[in-house]
Amino acid sequence: MTDRGIYEDFSLVRRRARVVFLAVGILCASALVAYWKIQILDYKKFESMAVANRTRDIVLPAPRAILTDRTGAVVLADNRAAFKASFIRDNTRDEAGSIRRIAELLDLEPGIVTARVEKYKSWPRFRPIVVKDNLSFEEVARIEARKNDLPELIVETEPRRIYPHASLGSHILGYLQEADAEDLKTHPEYLRPGDMIGKMGIEGEYNGRIAGVDGKLVEIVDSLGRKQGELERVEPRPGPKLALTIDFELQVKAEELLAGREGVIVALDPASGEVLALASYPTFDPNKFINRFTPEEWLTLVQNPDNPLLNRALQGLYSPGSLFKPVMGLAALGTGVVGADTTFFCGGAVEIYGAIRHCWNEAGHGSLSLRDAIRYSCNIYFYQLGRRIPIDTIARYAGLMGLGRKTGVDIPGEKEGLVPSTEWKKTTRKEDWYPGETISVAIGQGPLQTTPLQIAAMTARLSNRGKGIRPHLLTGESGALSGEPDSGIPGWAFEQVVEGMWRSVNEAGTGAPARVEGFQVCGKTGSTQTISRETAERIADGTKVKKTHSWFTGFAPRTNPRIVVTVLVEYGGGGGATAAPIAGQLFALYKQKHDRPRTTPGN
Amino acid sequence: MIDRAQLREIDWVLVALTVLNSLVGLLLIYSVSAASGGGLAWKQLIWMAAALAVFFLTISIDYKMWMAFAPYIYILFLIFMAALLLFGRTVAGSRSWIGFASMGGQPSEIAKIVVVLVLARIFAEYRASYATTGMIALSFAAVGAPVGLILLQPDFGTAMCFMPILFGALILAGLTKKTVAVFLLGAVIAGVAGWAFFLKDYQKKRIEVMINPSQDPRGAGYHVLQSQIAIGSGGLTGKGFLKGTQSGLKFLPARHTDFVFAVLGEEFGFIGITIVLGFYFAMLARMFRSVGKSRDRAGIYVTFLAAAVISFQFLVNVLMIVGLLPITGIPIPLLSYGGSSLLATYFAIGLVVNVKMRRFANV
Repeated sequence: MTDRGIYEDFSLVRRRARVVFLAVGILCASALVAYWKIQILDYKKFESMAVANRTRDIVLPAPRAILTDRTGAVVLADNRAAFKASFIRDNTRDEAGSIRRIAELLDLEPGIVTARVEKYKSWPRFRPIVVKDNLSFEEVARIEARKNDLPELIVETEPRRIYPHASLGSHILGYLQEADAEDLKTHPEYLRPGDMIGKMGIEGEYNGRIAGVDGKLVEIVDSLGRKQGELERVEPRPGPKLALTIDFELQVKAEELLAGREGVIVALDPASGEVLALASYPTFDPNKFINRFTPEEWLTLVQNPDNPLLNRALQGLYSPGSLFKPVMGLAALGTGVVGADTTFFCGGAVEIYGAIRHCWNEAGHGSLSLRDAIRYSCNIYFYQLGRRIPIDTIARYAGLMGLGRKTGVDIPGEKEGLVPSTEWKKTTRKEDWYPGETISVAIGQGPLQTTPLQIAAMTARLSNRGKGIRPHLLTGESGALSGEPDSGIPGWAFEQVVEGMWRSVNEAGTGAPARVEGFQVCGKTGSTQTISRETAERIADGTKVKKTHSWFTGFAPRTNPRIVVTVLVEYGGGGGATAAPIAGQLFALYKQKHDRPRTTPGN
Repeated sequence: MIDRAQLREIDWVLVALTVLNSLVGLLLIYSVSAASGGGLAWKQLIWMAAALAVFFLTISIDYKMWMAFAPYIYILFLIFMAALLLFGRTVAGSRSWIGFASMGGQPSEIAKIVVVLVLARIFAEYRASYATTGMIALSFAAVGAPVGLILLQPDFGTAMCFMPILFGALILAGLTKKTVAVFLLGAVIAGVAGWAFFLKDYQKKRIEVMINPSQDPRGAGYHVLQSQIAIGSGGLTGKGFLKGTQSGLKFLPARHTDFVFAVLGEEFGFIGITIVLGFYFAMLARMFRSVGKSRDRAGIYVTFLAAAVISFQFLVNVLMIVGLLPITGIPIPLLSYGGSSLLATYFAIGLVVNVKMRRFANV
């Protein structure tokens, strides 16, 4: 074989190879430029993307503040650890498949999981969506076992609210619910989807203080979202323990006394405005609300015609009935319409403006002064006052006693009540006020509406001989009312009214069942028609509707009063028959408690 | 087969550069597999030993002999690959992996070098300044047969690697302006037709994503974006060996094969990239320089086509992971993990050394 290479000219082929090599060289150089661009020029951008890639922020929820009674010894709301399962959409590429697997693993309807995901679909995909809470240990173990093939499902721990005394004080404490869209909008600084927020009561009013400050955990995660380590940890700060003004023993007693009825008991300290007991029946167990996912129980509560969620003490509107008579008395004495010893004659009935009006006692009370009119709750006496005092004057005195406006109690939802006036009638009913209507108002009927808490605050003002207080439930809150003008009602007028209330309880008056030996209870009963007398007579079988609401409000002792008790029992019958004895038991308990020799001196 | 004079002519510089680049690859593979015990790096080390054996086997047989056998090996491979299509097991959606022993082998990697030999043989006696239509058709047929089988697997990336062999050979043989124009027209038509009829949706998506990677960061754009984040966050000096967070935390896909250069960028920064790019370019340059040292046309073709196919894979990979080319499964020879790729590369470089060491020999 000859070696052709020696004779052949390969220069053309070699030149072509060199051109290709040149192209390779240029491409290598441009690759270097490309790397320079992203590693040097765009370094900052990619560096921050890398950090975001590998870390995950986890919120460590702060336990809610512990709530106690006034002594700090009885815990009314506490926390314990609970587990919840959350779905991180970012950790899966097949969302529908994940939902199916999660539902299967947790024995849930796939529709429930889908609904949860749908609800929060606008949130960033890395945010965990709670799909089930209150996991059992068995469920936690099941999720942990599937950690590697289900990285999108994680177990989070959270402190869970617990109310050790179940329904006790539920209307004071309130309850928790998952924050809704509205809440999230109003408190973006501390609320995240899935958070529980206080609704109603102390939990609602002081949510910001009770919630505490959440902690933060920055985790290092791999591409599947599996935890590889911790980068930063800020421990949560629980809200500071809060003591309510509630006297635990009185509260328990009040709820015992109301059990099985519908009604309200309010007890407060007239000097400070501290609420010692506040019970509203029917009631509910706030522990039931902490579950995010049983809407059935919620519905039964909301749809219950007796409305257990209603805090009747500040949201229930009732005619004050005879409880309004002390206000009428003050108006009469204050305006000089009557003097302390002016008497009217009660013959059981009287004709006013062409209509016959009856006293509850058809035999009549004879001649009586204001003191005895209050003692016996004589209607005729007050009809006579109603004839002589214009409605706007009555309204002014009612306002001076705190009616027709909120008491300012530190739990939300309070109603204002209603004190009618000529102007009110003109603006709302477009009619003039008829003097006949004043006669109804004079015995606390007509359009007049009050809440039991207003009645309690009014009673405190009577007991203080004019000085008003602001009822409150959190110790340390102020009980003073700011910017109150001087009522101008003379002290002797209050003494006349208080004398009447004292006689009512202690001298065979209508409030006698509230009497407590040695405690100088002063009080007033009331029995208010829930429907007009004519309607009641028409409904023959109306067992409940025919009965009147039963009221009692009072304080003790007569001088330097220490406790106000207001009782309302719906459809309870006569005030003296039902409400007064309940109040009596509470006065008795209070006295016994404070007369009790102290076991620890100086406590 | 091999005498002492030829032994002295072995291009030890090229051998050293080849081994050096293989060791860089080993280091990177160790880094990505360190968390799981470094098993892949050990496997790659064993493959390297096998590859060196292949290298010495390659140079010990005269390249003319290799070329003489090339058509038979070529036909054997075609039969083998066709059989694989029928009976092969599927790995990652593709049927090219042979299941013998625990180490997989990919015959199409070796097939590339066999096609290099076949094309060199076709053009060995071709002396005209420009390739005729007949020669072009023959070249297309020679490359088309294995490529067709590979596309049926389907393995788009590996099939792509035959392009530089075919067009390298044609460029060397000479293409007239008219031929280039016909090729360009054909490419446009094929491109349009391919887009309309042949490309699968995921492949189209990859091309779209290259143009705008953030359009779908969780889907097809995921790989490009993650790779860019890894490289970009390496900065000038990198995060340090074994300290790459994006690769260590598995944000990077196929870290040990297609994205091994991204691991380099993340852990060793722009400095590391520059150095390794320099090593690799030195190796390629050494191969291209060998083109001028060949004593015959066959040797020129063998050397040039081997250099072209390695350059092509390197450039495509390096540009693809920074988002300048669409993502296709093309590993970097020597740097990426893979036994058959390593064997094929040492086989190719062995042929280059073979040609150069025998430049004075009269056979």
